[in-house]
Amino acid sequence: MTGMPTLNSFPGSNSDTTVDADVIVIGAGPAGMSAAIGITRAGLKVIVLDMQPAPGGQIFRSLESNLQARPATNKLLHALGPTYLDGQALIEQFRSTPGIDYRPQTTVWDLRADATVGWLQGDAAGYLRARQVVVANGAMERPVPFPGWTLPGVMTAGAVQTLLKAGRLQPGGRVVLVGTGPLILLLADQLRRLGIRPSLIGRTDTFKDKIAAVGSLKISAFSPLVKGLGWLTKLKLAGITMRTGVSDLRAHGRDKVESVSLSIDGRKVELGCDLLVVHDGIVPATDIAHCAGLAMDWQTDDSSWQPRTTEDGRAEMVPGPGLTGGPCKIRVSGDARRIGGADAAIAHGRYVAACIAADLHKNSTTGGMIAVGDDVVRTLAGRPFIDKAFPRGLATQALEDNTIICRCEELTAGDIRTAIGNGVTDMNHLRGTLRCGMGPCQGRSCAVTVARLLAESAGANTPALFRARPPLRPLPLIALANLSGLDPELAQVVSLGDKPEAEAMEQPHE
Amino acid sequence: MDECLFRQSVEAVPTLSTAGNCATLYLAGMGMFTPVGAFEAAITIFFDDRPIPARPGETVAACLLRANTPAFRTTPVTGAARLPYCMIGHCFECLVEIDGIGNKQACLQIVNEGMKVCTQKGAATVIGASQ
Repeated sequence: MTGMPTLNSFPGSNSDTTVDADVIVIGAGPAGMSAAIGITRAGLKVIVLDMQPAPGGQIFRSLESNLQARPATNKLLHALGPTYLDGQALIEQFRSTPGIDYRPQTTVWDLRADATVGWLQGDAAGYLRARQVVVANGAMERPVPFPGWTLPGVMTAGAVQTLLKAGRLQPGGRVVLVGTGPLILLLADQLRRLGIRPSLIGRTDTFKDKIAAVGSLKISAFSPLVKGLGWLTKLKLAGITMRTGVSDLRAHGRDKVESVSLSIDGRKVELGCDLLVVHDGIVPATDIAHCAGLAMDWQTDDSSWQPRTTEDGRAEMVPGPGLTGGPCKIRVSGDARRIGGADAAIAHGRYVAACIAADLHKNSTTGGMIAVGDDVVRTLAGRPFIDKAFPRGLATQALEDNTIICRCEELTAGDIRTAIGNGVTDMNHLRGTLRCGMGPCQGRSCAVTVARLLAESAGANTPALFRARPPLRPLPLIALANLSGLDPELAQVVSLGDKPEAEAMEQPHE
Repeated sequence: MDECLFRQSVEAVPTLSTAGNCATLYLAGMGMFTPVGAFEAAITIFFDDRPIPARPGETVAACLLRANTPAFRTTPVTGAARLPYCMIGHCFECLVEIDGIGNKQACLQIVNEGMKVCTQKGAATVIGASQ
């Protein structure tokens, strides 16, 4: 680190001499592990930051410890099945690749286009810099508001899977599953293997969706299709009630969910319930990409945002003022880029690693460009079929005025509609007016629905997300006070645009 | 549909947050989550001063759900009870106070011997309520 902070110096001009690693990978799931292995094998220095205590991501969550705990976990591993055990080889490879600087239980709360990453581990926090960053923070389940969705006892299918894998816990009492997508069927089959019989699997998708999807059926979709049909057959043979064409979901109860009502092909049904498991497909986790100021594309068919990337994962900055200037040194890989599942994430992570190696080694034969591999194309080819066969359902349910949209600030669809009626036209204005998206989750749960409500009145305008600002997650004051890795370059603020009076922070450390 | 079904009234909160009522709720009925196979507790954490057996390596959220905890937090606006929703760090519904520091995501925190966890009542306070 040299010299005084020069607020107007060109960002990144001395970056290669002050970096902590060649590449920082955010996330140790399939894409992150695969990318880190490839980058390290190319002779480059990698730091991997991951929120969880062990590698695997959500799909292979706690796989290592569950394997180590055998035979006590035999029943659990049998229930989770081959999809889960498949992760073992990749995790072993990740662990045995020498040189990967793997930092578990480390959350990322800031990312800048110049490849600066803010991290938090316990009560320690700081900044790290690299020549490139790979964002591989995976996916999240599409948040779906319906009456009663904030009641204790309403959970996502992914949450129940996490409790199985990492908590070694299974649901008790009366379980109802509602939604769509492969995950809900996989979970239902896993519960069946544990001897749990959901009172109902209510699916929002219909047979018509399957007919419509046939046109998108590629050979690469056959294997997941066979898997899915296998789950369906076993659930049917087990006599578990499954209905399609479900709508109008509501959870009832006072301090917890007590019953669930829904319509099956127009007929209203109410049933007692201790745990309502919902799932409406998965969407990329955009929090980190968005914080970095990356351009996001709204997917109309899917009602979700996707970071705008080239095939090799290279992201681009949203036009206009940003917190960091200079070229964008961020790539996005795996489900965080495009939902494709573990195999697609592994293939894309590997491809991104090859591209980064070519880029940073300035390989003259390839000129930094590597053609996309067959495996990347093949593993993503089955996706259009799945998207068509399981279209989002709960997320298309009409929003009643008293349904909570912003879970943190407890704002209802009615509150938001009133604000829109009073002239609010964009998400930032809405946040400023109502605090919608200002709570601890920072809009992760409400942004998609708020976009939907704004579109109700504004017509077909592409909704822009809440402007994201670090820290993305709560930082303890002690961590902030002892922040490490502060570099004068980091204090650069090209322009905040919306707050022209804001000044670049002075360097607080000696 | 009656709105109070979805938005718990503020008056209902004290009945949830007093230790005595919690204890009866813990004992009542079958747990929402039970261990798959045998459960071997090796350590103890405390939730609102009540000892809870825990397995090293598990998350605070998993531990509290196994203990049939009726609410991890109450909301700052209406005081409604909340339990974890996503379990992977996105929804922030599982916020608790851990060793005096609020706004900790129970689904991301791993249990430690003697860890003191408290229900987060409303917004996090700067100085923990347990101190």
